[in-house]
Amino acid sequence: MGQSSSRSRRRDDYRQTYPQHAPLPPPPVQPPLTPPYNPSSRPNFSAPYYNPPPVPAGPYYYAYQPQPSSSYNGLMRFFESWVNNSFPSYYRPNQGNGWLNSAAPPPPAAMPPYTSFSAASSSSIVVAPPPYVEHQKAKTIKNDVNLHKDMIRLEADVLNPEEYLVSFVYDAVVDGSVTIYYFAKEGANCSFSSIEEDIYKPRSYPFEKGTARKFCQPSGDGIDLGFFDLESLSKPANGEVFPLVIYAKACGPTQTDGQSVQSAATHLQITLAIIEKNNTGAFEVKVVKQILWFDGERYELQEIFGLADSSEPVDDADDDIGKECVICLTETRNTAVFPCRHLCMCSDCAKSLRVQSNKCPICRQPVEKLMEINVNLTSSDK
Amino acid sequence: MANTNLPRRIIKETQRLLSEPAPGISASPSEDNMRYFNVMILGPTQSPFEGGVFKLELFLPEEYPMAAPKVRFLTKIYHPNIDKLGRICLDILKDKWSPALQIRTVLLSIQALLSAPNPDDPLSDNIAKHWKTNEAEAVETAKEWTRLYATGA
Repeated sequence: MGQSSSRSRRRDDYRQTYPQHAPLPPPPVQPPLTPPYNPSSRPNFSAPYYNPPPVPAGPYYYAYQPQPSSSYNGLMRFFESWVNNSFPSYYRPNQGNGWLNSAAPPPPAAMPPYTSFSAASSSSIVVAPPPYVEHQKAKTIKNDVNLHKDMIRLEADVLNPEEYLVSFVYDAVVDGSVTIYYFAKEGANCSFSSIEEDIYKPRSYPFEKGTARKFCQPSGDGIDLGFFDLESLSKPANGEVFPLVIYAKACGPTQTDGQSVQSAATHLQITLAIIEKNNTGAFEVKVVKQILWFDGERYELQEIFGLADSSEPVDDADDDIGKECVICLTETRNTAVFPCRHLCMCSDCAKSLRVQSNKCPICRQPVEKLMEINVNLTSSDK
Repeated sequence: MANTNLPRRIIKETQRLLSEPAPGISASPSEDNMRYFNVMILGPTQSPFEGGVFKLELFLPEEYPMAAPKVRFLTKIYHPNIDKLGRICLDILKDKWSPALQIRTVLLSIQALLSAPNPDDPLSDNIAKHWKTNEAEAVETAKEWTRLYATGA
């Protein structure tokens, strides 16, 4: 993971790595570190001495599903903005990689030393400054079309036994169209193009709205996977050409030319997958990632662990184990930890965690950001 | 003093410990200090500690749950990860503590430690050495200590 490198980044690096689309934040109050600079005169660079600039509004979203599907096994999906995947850690001092007052000394290798600052702060003050962790609120967007990613199949075409047809199960609140690409890569604005068009020209089909609907390519439209070796089917080439791309577009008239037609109002869900042969010799589709294109912004879908239960009605009884914050055991959990995506805390405990530890309570991975996700929405709120 | 402003988490944990105790484990708070628990753990079956009732004390420091509870055996026990003062060598009580853990999970972990002594990470060097060089004899000693100190109390 890129975590260790981002952790050792100096805080004044963020301007270089800040996503381009975001407006540049105002320059930090603290001037850049230049000699003559005396660290001991400013022992603590964390809040409140140094407040990183506010996070631009709305880089993160989550989607709630109007008709949650049982096949997701209790996990809701999460959209993570592509551009923010590499969001830098602002400031990560050499904090004793442990919970407050943990008896054992922190493992030395776990946190790269925070060079000049940490040396100064550990010698001049008792308490190491807490890491700055973003704490954001999620914004809801609605996913108009959703493929069940564990329900994508390649089925042999009965009439053309050499050929395989794509089938999947989907939910859609509006009609739309779906395009099947093989060996396609992403272009600007979530458009896709196949690099093997001479073997298989991308084909589009309309779909109807509904819940848990099944889509299957018509007979004759399948692909003879014998053209490709298993090696090339089983991984994205150069990390960008995906063996199977299912491009689902909600609303609007169907474009059947196989070339994507973009408009800002288009809502897309794009599923990128690899194809493997299982031990019975059948082809299996494995989803690598799903992308959402919504109002001109691109998001990646991710699952949040621990979210599903809280979307159900909360009873007042004491047996709300599984919905409550793991720290106070009292409030409903509504804050997720990133990058591990454990939704496990209430916002108050998350705020106090921020200043006391940098580890996820569930998995102990370093916390890079916290996000409040309120799931009290019901379908009447939309 | 300790009973004023007792966090709701501690109240809830206490209630659940009393209403749904884990098998082989009992924990009840002291009357004058709700952060101090008297604990009893039954020696797990198929272990050298079977048949024994082991008393422990557990204290929730002010920082709990951001800091681990302090736990100590009060009953003498022959175990490579427990020293003669009853201190326990268990990672979740130290650097692997997480606020998602609870009194119940800590005590279950200690119970599991009785079933699976780990002489490679010893707290008591002599016992660990004994365990590694002659496990059968060490187990006999542990059984003997269980009989002597952990029964009929």
